[in-house]
Amino acid sequence: MNDISKETLNKIKEQGIVPRTKGYFLLRRSTVWALFCLSVILGSISASAVIFQVRNADWDLFQHFRHSILEFLLLFVPYFWGMFLVGFSIVAYFYFRRTQSGYRYRAVTAVALSVLLSIIGGVGIYATGLSGRMESVFEDTLPFYRGAAFHNRMVWMSPDKGLLAGKIIDVTKKGIIILKDLDGKEWHVAANHAAWRGRLSPSRDLEIKLIGIRTGENSFKANEVRPWHGRRKYGGKGRRHSRMFQSSGTEK
Amino acid sequence: MTDEALAGSSLRHEDAFYYLMKRYEPVLLRYIHRMTQVSREESEDLLQDIFIKVFRNLNGFDTNLKFSSWVYRIAHNEIISQYRKKKRDRFTMEPDADDSDILTSFLTDTLNMESEYLDREKTTAVRTALEELSPKYRDILVLRYFEELSYEEISDILRKPPGSVATLLNRAKIKFKKIAGKYHLETI
Repeated sequence: MNDISKETLNKIKEQGIVPRTKGYFLLRRSTVWALFCLSVILGSISASAVIFQVRNADWDLFQHFRHSILEFLLLFVPYFWGMFLVGFSIVAYFYFRRTQSGYRYRAVTAVALSVLLSIIGGVGIYATGLSGRMESVFEDTLPFYRGAAFHNRMVWMSPDKGLLAGKIIDVTKKGIIILKDLDGKEWHVAANHAAWRGRLSPSRDLEIKLIGIRTGENSFKANEVRPWHGRRKYGGKGRRHSRMFQSSGTEK
Repeated sequence: MTDEALAGSSLRHEDAFYYLMKRYEPVLLRYIHRMTQVSREESEDLLQDIFIKVFRNLNGFDTNLKFSSWVYRIAHNEIISQYRKKKRDRFTMEPDADDSDILTSFLTDTLNMESEYLDREKTTAVRTALEELSPKYRDILVLRYFEELSYEEISDILRKPPGSVATLLNRAKIKFKKIAGKYHLETI
């Protein structure tokens, strides 16, 4: 029988084989951890966008979608960012498994840990207000982006369901609001008896959301008027004009 | 001197690595032999590759592991890597008669060990049954029953959670029993 150990040692000496340096392994391990952290950070950004959209959705409109829970969920659940959150959590799990001891954890535990870390990070990012700014940047720069504004458009451009949004272009002496909706169509809105949320009053260029009843081809009776921007009923901080209104050609 | 200390010395003086290799030579040759059906020469080539990998990666030894688990892991990865290179459907095995005893002992308590003929029959049957298993099941049976490693060690070698090791082992046993039944191993 050959002395394989002796042969191997000779080969090591002859070929000048040397052990890889500690730095090499340190770099490899650090790279894996860095990629894991990057995935968690991207997951956190996604989570913050999910939180932003959930917090800014008009959940109280559920009554208008009672006929179709599925439609309501499709419109209101932030699945775009939700998919990214899940995706980055899986990537984070992939790298976590490649850390020195990551393989000892069950897949469910490791994925749950990744999601949890992303959510904690997401709450932190949301608290700083970065998610709102990020949403605005994406809306303005990414034509394919389907964020909160896209969902709002889908929800609020449903006059047959009693939901309408647009910009006031004039208010008649009789109190009829001339509104250009997000598609640029002109509407005559009776809002004399409507409740105005968020300390609003009818004025030109005001971007609003209406809850009411469609009364004709281009006429609408509003029961409630909300500011276009901001959270739920009462509005809040936000840009005065959105890209959506600009694209409809109503921006001055 | 512990394996870990010997590994440390090997980093300073490569001659020390010879003694480390000597310790693992029979163990790893047996493991290779159990996992693959390759000639003696090929086994030795594979072992040499494994030893060189161990030497190259000495600085990367994870001190949270047993040194033997780390060496087994490298051996396991190298065997799998060779397996993929050769694109075989599966490894075929030539277990020793002792090996077949170990594995069939969990199939039946009434083994008749007295007859040489029956032993030979059993060895062939076990070999055939194991050949039919997929590598992942064969691997775990070899590590648990032939190498007699703990779940913890197998977990470190295969880089799987201990719970998954237990599940995989149970599945492997069920699969093996099913195949063994086909070859009437319970009655041997």
